[in-house]
Amino acid sequence: MNRPEKSPLLEKTADFSLNFSLNGSQLYLQVPPTRRLVDILRRDLRLTGTKISCEIGRCGACMVLIDGKAFNSCLTMAYQCQGKQVTTIEGISKDGLDVIQQAFLKEGGFQCGYCTPGMIISLKAACLARVSPDFSELKEALTGNLCRCTGYGGIHRVLRRLSSDQNESGRRAVGKDRDADSSAER
Amino acid sequence: MLLDRNRNGSEKQWRVRRDGKDKVTGGHAFLTDMGFPRMLYGRVLRSHYPHAIIRSIDLSAAEKLPGVAAVLFHKDVPGLNAFGIADPNQPVFCDSLVRYEGDALAAVAAETSEIAEEALQLIKVEYDCLPVVDSPEKALSPQAPQLHPEGNILHETEYVRGEIEAVFADCAMIVETTYETPRQMHTYLETEGGVFVPEDSGSLTVYAPTQHGYKDRMQLARILAVPEEAIRIISSPAGGSFGGKDELNVQPYGALLALRCGRPVKIHYSRSESVKAGLKRHPMTVMMKTGADADGKLLAHQVDIVSDTGAYATLGGPVLNFATEHCLGPYRIPHVHIKGKAVYTNNGVSGEFRGFGGNQVIFALEGQLDRLAEKLQLDPWELRRINVREPDDPGPLGQRIVPTDGPRQVWEGIQRSPLWKKRKRSDGTTGKVPWIKAGTGVALAMHGSGLGYGIPDPGGGSLRLNENGKIEAAFGHEEFGQGLLTTIEILLQDHFHCAAEDLEIVIGDTDRVPPSGSSTASRTTNSVWQALNNVREPFLAAVYRKAAKLTGIPEIRLQTGPGGIWTTADCGGDKKNLLKRVITYKQLADQGANEPVFSTKFHYPLTPDPIIGAHYLYTSIAVIAAVEVNLLTGMVKIAGLDHCVAAGPVINPPGYLGQIEGGSVMALGFTTMENAVMQEGYYTTKNLDTYLVPTIFDVPEFQQVDAVEELISGDDFGPRGVGEIGTVAIAPAIVSAIRQATGKWLTALPVSPEQLVAADAVISSYLQPEEADRKEKGRDN
Ligand code: FES
Ligand code: FES
Repeated sequence: MNRPEKSPLLEKTADFSLNFSLNGSQLYLQVPPTRRLVDILRRDLRLTGTKISCEIGRCGACMVLIDGKAFNSCLTMAYQCQGKQVTTIEGISKDGLDVIQQAFLKEGGFQCGYCTPGMIISLKAACLARVSPDFSELKEALTGNLCRCTGYGGIHRVLRRLSSDQNESGRRAVGKDRDADSSAER
Repeated sequence: MLLDRNRNGSEKQWRVRRDGKDKVTGGHAFLTDMGFPRMLYGRVLRSHYPHAIIRSIDLSAAEKLPGVAAVLFHKDVPGLNAFGIADPNQPVFCDSLVRYEGDALAAVAAETSEIAEEALQLIKVEYDCLPVVDSPEKALSPQAPQLHPEGNILHETEYVRGEIEAVFADCAMIVETTYETPRQMHTYLETEGGVFVPEDSGSLTVYAPTQHGYKDRMQLARILAVPEEAIRIISSPAGGSFGGKDELNVQPYGALLALRCGRPVKIHYSRSESVKAGLKRHPMTVMMKTGADADGKLLAHQVDIVSDTGAYATLGGPVLNFATEHCLGPYRIPHVHIKGKAVYTNNGVSGEFRGFGGNQVIFALEGQLDRLAEKLQLDPWELRRINVREPDDPGPLGQRIVPTDGPRQVWEGIQRSPLWKKRKRSDGTTGKVPWIKAGTGVALAMHGSGLGYGIPDPGGGSLRLNENGKIEAAFGHEEFGQGLLTTIEILLQDHFHCAAEDLEIVIGDTDRVPPSGSSTASRTTNSVWQALNNVREPFLAAVYRKAAKLTGIPEIRLQTGPGGIWTTADCGGDKKNLLKRVITYKQLADQGANEPVFSTKFHYPLTPDPIIGAHYLYTSIAVIAAVEVNLLTGMVKIAGLDHCVAAGPVINPPGYLGQIEGGSVMALGFTTMENAVMQEGYYTTKNLDTYLVPTIFDVPEFQQVDAVEELISGDDFGPRGVGEIGTVAIAPAIVSAIRQATGKWLTALPVSPEQLVAADAVISSYLQPEEADRKEKGRDN
C-alpha cells in the first residue's frame, strides 16, 4: 500500500528529503519541496481516503490534520510537512470508529460520501482544539467544507448528536446553545 | 408521515447505509481513487477558442517528449468519431471545426500527469477564428453562422389545445412575464474521471461513473469499433452525478489511450476542466402569458420557451420536451399554446440535470399564478386550489396517466408545516433591525418519472442464490449517493425476512448485471421494486423445492429467514412464525449444481397515448419557504424550507429525506447564487471560488419533510422515486417569499442582491433615523 510510485518527473526534480509522521508511522520520501501533500498522499502513497475536488482551498474534500489542526492538503506543500505529524482519514479510525464517524453513520451525514473524509477531519480538529465544542463551534469548523448531496440536513443532525453526546457525558454544558439551535428549528 | 428519526426511528427504518462504514473511514474506493500497476495518466487538449476552423494540428513535438506514451487525435478514432445519448453529434476529437471552448482536439497518455500536461502545451493547433454565437438570440438571427448541418435549432416543440387568442380577449385578468434561469453546474464533488484497463483477453475494462453502464458500453463500442461484449463497464460508485455524468465524459479518451498503449490509463478532470467541458443545466428564457376569469379560473396559457443547449445535442431535445410538458403544472387550463426551441450556440454544452427542464418552467408557471392571484386579490394558495387537477384528469399534454390526487394531497399537507402560520404575516417586519424583512412563499408542482413516451425505457433485474450462499440481487443501476443499495436491501429483507448479511447486491458492472435501463428520471426505486416483485415467487419456489428435497420437510412449512430456511408455525394467512432454521443458505447453495438465475424484463410504466415525451407516473410536491432579506446588502437568507411530497410508499425513510433535503438545497443554490457565467463563449467562472454553491451557513438548519404515502385505490404502481421532485418547486417559493418581504417581483435567477437593496433614501432613514425624523418634521412645518 505504502509503496511510492515511480515517476520520472519526481526523480528528475527530487531534491528534498521529507521526513514526517503519517498516521503514526515515520516516513522518509524524496520529493520536490513544492509537491502538494494531496499528491503525495493520493498518488505517491496511494492513500485515497483524502479526496480532491477544487485544488484551490474552497471545498475541504482534501482536509488532513497537521499537528492536530485541519489543513487543505491541496494547498500544503511537501516542505511544510517537514517534521510534522500528518493524520489522514485513514488514521482516524485506527483504534475503531471515532465518535464523529459513528455520528455520521447513525445520522446519515452523507450520501455519495465524497465530502465525508474532509468533514470528519474538520470536526476532529475542532474536537482536538477544545474540550466538548458546542453546536455552533462544530458548525464553524465546517466553514470550509462543501457538500453537494445532503443539503447539510444529515450534517446538522451529526452536529446536534455530537454536541448532545458531549452534553450527556457532562463534561460541559452546551444546553444553552442547543436551545438556541432548537428554537431556530421551531 | 413526517420523516424524522423520532417518528420512524426503528433500526429497520433508520438503518446505517449499506456502504456507510467505508465512506466514513476513507476505505470507500471511488472509481477515480483506483490505481493499477503500470498506469499512465491521460489529459485532453481543449479548444483555445469557442468557434474556429481548425487549419492544422501538429502532434510531433508532444510525441517526442520523454515520458509520453501516446498522443491521439481525430484520425485515431477507429469507429464513430462522436457521442451523445439522444443524438451523437459531439465529436470525440474535432477534425475541422471547434464549436465551444470545451471541445477536444487531442489526448495524451504519459507516465505522470505533469508530463501529460507538458505534452498538451507542445501540441500546435492553427485556427481561423469565426464569429462567436454566444446567445440563442444571436443564434436565431438570420445572419447567424450555422453551427450544425441542420442549422442552429436542435429541436422544436409545439402543443396547442383550445382557442387561445379568442379566449384571451375574454379573460378578466392577464399577466405576461418573461423569466430567465441560470446555467447551473452540477458540482458533484468528485469531478469526472476513471481508469481504463486493457485486459489480456483483448477486452477493455472501464472504471468510470455513469448513470447507465449499458448505454456507455453501447456508445464506447460505437467509437472504438469493437463488439459491445468486448467492453466491461464498472460504473458505480460515483461521488455525485445529479444527471451530469449520464453522458460520456472522460470515457472516449481513456478508452482510446488505454487500447493504444496497452496499459491502464487514468483520467481525472481538474475542477476547471470539469467546468469547461462538463454539462450544465439549460439556461432558459420562458415567456408566459396567462389569463383567468374574475373568479380566478385559469382560462388560457401561452408559453414560449427558448433553451440554450450549447454546442452539441446530448439530451437537449428530451429536456425541452420535458419543459414543454411541465409548463402546464398540475392545473386545469382549457386553452393552451406552447412553443419551445432548443438552440445551438457556441456556449458550454447543456444537458441532463436533476429536474430535467422542469425546474425552469415551474419557476415561471408558479410565478404566473402568484402574480395573477395578486392582481385578482385572491390568496395565491386558494388560486391553486381553484385550478388544481382532479384525480382522473388526463396528464398535462392530454395523455392518459395513472390517476393521482398528489397535487391536492400536498396542497393540503403543506399547511401542517410550522412555517404556514407565518404565512399571513405580510408586513415584513422581523422584530430585528428595520432593514431585515421577512416573507414566506408557497409553490406547488407535479413531476413525471420515467423517460416518457417515445424513448425505450426498459427495466429489469435478477435474483439467485449464489455460490457463497448469499441471495444475490443484480441490477444494471448505479449508486451515486442516493442510497439505492439500502433501498434494495430493505426491499429484499421485506421479501425474504433474511439478515442484511445474507444479501449480496450487485450493481454497476455490465459483466455481472442484467440491463435495467438508466438510473435517471426518478425511475430507479420504482424499477427495482417492480423487478423484485416479478422474480420473488419463482425464486422462492425453487428455493423451497430444493430445501424440501434436502430436509424432507414439506415446502408449505418452509420460510426464508435469517441465515437460511426455517420451519414455521402456521398462523394462517401470510404471517408465519419462524421456529427453527433447518438449512443454511450456504448449505443449500453447496448442494448440487449452480442455482438458476431468475430474471425479469419489463418496460417502465408508459402512457398508452403516443405523445412524445409524455409521462404516465407523477409525483407531487408543495414547498413553503421563509426568507429574510437584508435591504442594506440585498442578501437573502433562507430561514426555512418545508416540504410535503406525494410519491407513494416510503421504502427508505432516511434516503427519501436526504433526497428532498439535498435536492432542495441544490435548488436553493439555483435560486440564490449559482450561475456559471459565460462571456463571448468563454466561461468566466472557472472554479469554486467564483462558482458558489450553498455552504452549511446558507441553508436552514432543519427542513420538515412530510411524505404522503397514500395512493388512489387501484394504483398498484408502488413507490415512485424522489430524486428530482425536491428540486422543482423551491425557486418559485423563495421568489414569492422575497416578494412578500420586499414588494419586489424578481424574474431572473439567481436573484440579484443589487435588485433587492433599498433605495438610498430608505437606507438613510434606516441608518440615521433621527435625521430622517428631523427632515420629516421640517417638511411638516
Ligand atoms: S481540493 Fe483542497 S480544498 Fe478543494
Ligand atoms: S455526500 Fe456527496 S458531497 Fe457530501
